[in-house]
Amino acid sequence: MTDAVVQVRELRKTFRVTEREEGLAATLRSFVKRRRKDVNAVAGITFRIDPGEVVGFLGPNGAGKTTTLKMLSGLLHPTAGEARVLEYVPWRRENAYLKSMTLLMGNRTQLVWDIPAADSFRVLQEIYRIPEAQFRATVNELTELLELQELVRKPVRNLSLGERMKVEFAAGLIHSPSVAFLDEPTIGLDISMQVRIRRFVAEYNRRTGATILLTSHYMDDVVALCKRVIVIHRGRLLYDGPLADLAERMAPYKVITATLHDGAASSTDLDAYGTVVSREEGRVTLRVDRQVAPERTARLVNDLGSRLADISVEDPPIEEVIDRVFTSEQTMVSA
Amino acid sequence: MIRTYRALLVAQIQAASAYRVQSILWMLFSVIRPVIFLAAWVAVANSQGGQIGAYDVRDFAAYYICLSLVSNLTMSWNAYDFEFEVRLGRLSPKLLRPLHPIHYSVVENIVWKVTTIIPLGIILVFVSLTFDARFRTTPAHLLLFVPSVLLAAALAFFSGWVLATLAFWTTRVHAVSTFWDRAAFIFAGQIAPLALLPGPLQAIALALPFGYILGVPAEILRGGVSVPTALQLMAGQAIWLVVFYFAFHRVWRVGVRQYSAVGA
Repeated sequence: MTDAVVQVRELRKTFRVTEREEGLAATLRSFVKRRRKDVNAVAGITFRIDPGEVVGFLGPNGAGKTTTLKMLSGLLHPTAGEARVLEYVPWRRENAYLKSMTLLMGNRTQLVWDIPAADSFRVLQEIYRIPEAQFRATVNELTELLELQELVRKPVRNLSLGERMKVEFAAGLIHSPSVAFLDEPTIGLDISMQVRIRRFVAEYNRRTGATILLTSHYMDDVVALCKRVIVIHRGRLLYDGPLADLAERMAPYKVITATLHDGAASSTDLDAYGTVVSREEGRVTLRVDRQVAPERTARLVNDLGSRLADISVEDPPIEEVIDRVFTSEQTMVSA
Repeated sequence: MIRTYRALLVAQIQAASAYRVQSILWMLFSVIRPVIFLAAWVAVANSQGGQIGAYDVRDFAAYYICLSLVSNLTMSWNAYDFEFEVRLGRLSPKLLRPLHPIHYSVVENIVWKVTTIIPLGIILVFVSLTFDARFRTTPAHLLLFVPSVLLAAALAFFSGWVLATLAFWTTRVHAVSTFWDRAAFIFAGQIAPLALLPGPLQAIALALPFGYILGVPAEILRGGVSVPTALQLMAGQAIWLVVFYFAFHRVWRVGVRQYSAVGA
């Protein structure tokens, strides 16, 4: 087994927050005595990531994803547990570590707002001590991959959200980090920009072999980029394993979609083949047990004959599968 | 590090050029207060036969002109900016780079001072002519002023950072720094030259750090203290600088563990 790039053991982060009930009396009481409560943002998670892996880190809002990324990047000190990234303890923030990693947050800017990105790149070149030849090669490569040609000469404040995100990516990767933590990298972007960013991340991983841990609420990001996912909820790890296995284990059914000629969808009785989920404009969607799906599909094709225009058999949408993981809160870690 | 500073300086000058009007207004604001005090002391002195203690009208003019210059050269606004950065999580990108966040602040301070010194100089020459200021400055005073104002600027910078670092524990540093500014108002030599404060207040002022940031270098530049006294006062500056330098390192090390990176 290769040495893990990211190794996390029983990592915990507890925040102490102040609580106050509404109303004047409670406000006055809180002047004298504050009521505090411990919130377990990350409640002891363990996982490892090997070199070159692109792993999706999934969970609902408040699950502890961003807190974990902040600990792994060195921004936060954990309450307990261990973590090593590239053999460094992240929160010691040694310069050698900071030069080997990046944390990119989709809704945050790290560029100087009032100057063109090209000038910020020069500042970063000096901060990271990047030799001139390497700097030029990296900037050229990032410019080509992200289509930055015109953008880097405009002050950052004049860029659109999508343009700014591309430039932020370039700034975050200018020192060629071997580990990248991406927190919601496509948040707020339109579909075409999301696709471009996804393509870029995949290409960056292919070209550099960088290890990437990515959070996103857009399942398309995860499906396009990650073979493996780690699912956490309420600070606890619920699933760690291949994305492909997740549907099989959490959603033991397939979705059969049959398109019928002549609007027959509304009249044809298909209850015998599985649970009818929806009927719309000549199309019937059925939920069928995974084990019997091939046999039911064959029967459908046979029984409907020429009335059948099209048929497809698929796993349920990944959003639905993930939702089932959150709802069940059952822990499943692949070996 | 020199190359890093050069790159940061270039970027900061470019960014500052976008806010040149704002910079000038800030500079004017920093001059208004001493000029108001100057006008008030001139009025008081004139009503008392033109002299208060060792100061006549022309001495007051020289003192407040020197104070304005020192105020501009030592001003440090880290506490305000830093609270904002911590509260909104804007500190995070800086913490993730292999460069201590304090360096960005050093550069911002240098650029602001360099870009405002010429217009300030013109205003101060104008004020000097208007009030017929009398400087008692000798070459020795000028020579001592350089290290004294550097010590004062470093002292203002590090004491500002100690206050700023409180933002790791409370996101309302503004209240603390306002209290600090009010104390400075009395004890730094703004309301009156330190030599004119009543005995006990003067002793307190010399035991506190505020006077070493403004009043002391201003008096050295004006030539208002003898060279041996100036050297003693500079020793006081050095002691306070050492205190705040180590306090900053200690508070930073503990504080950064508290950082909750809210929102980012």
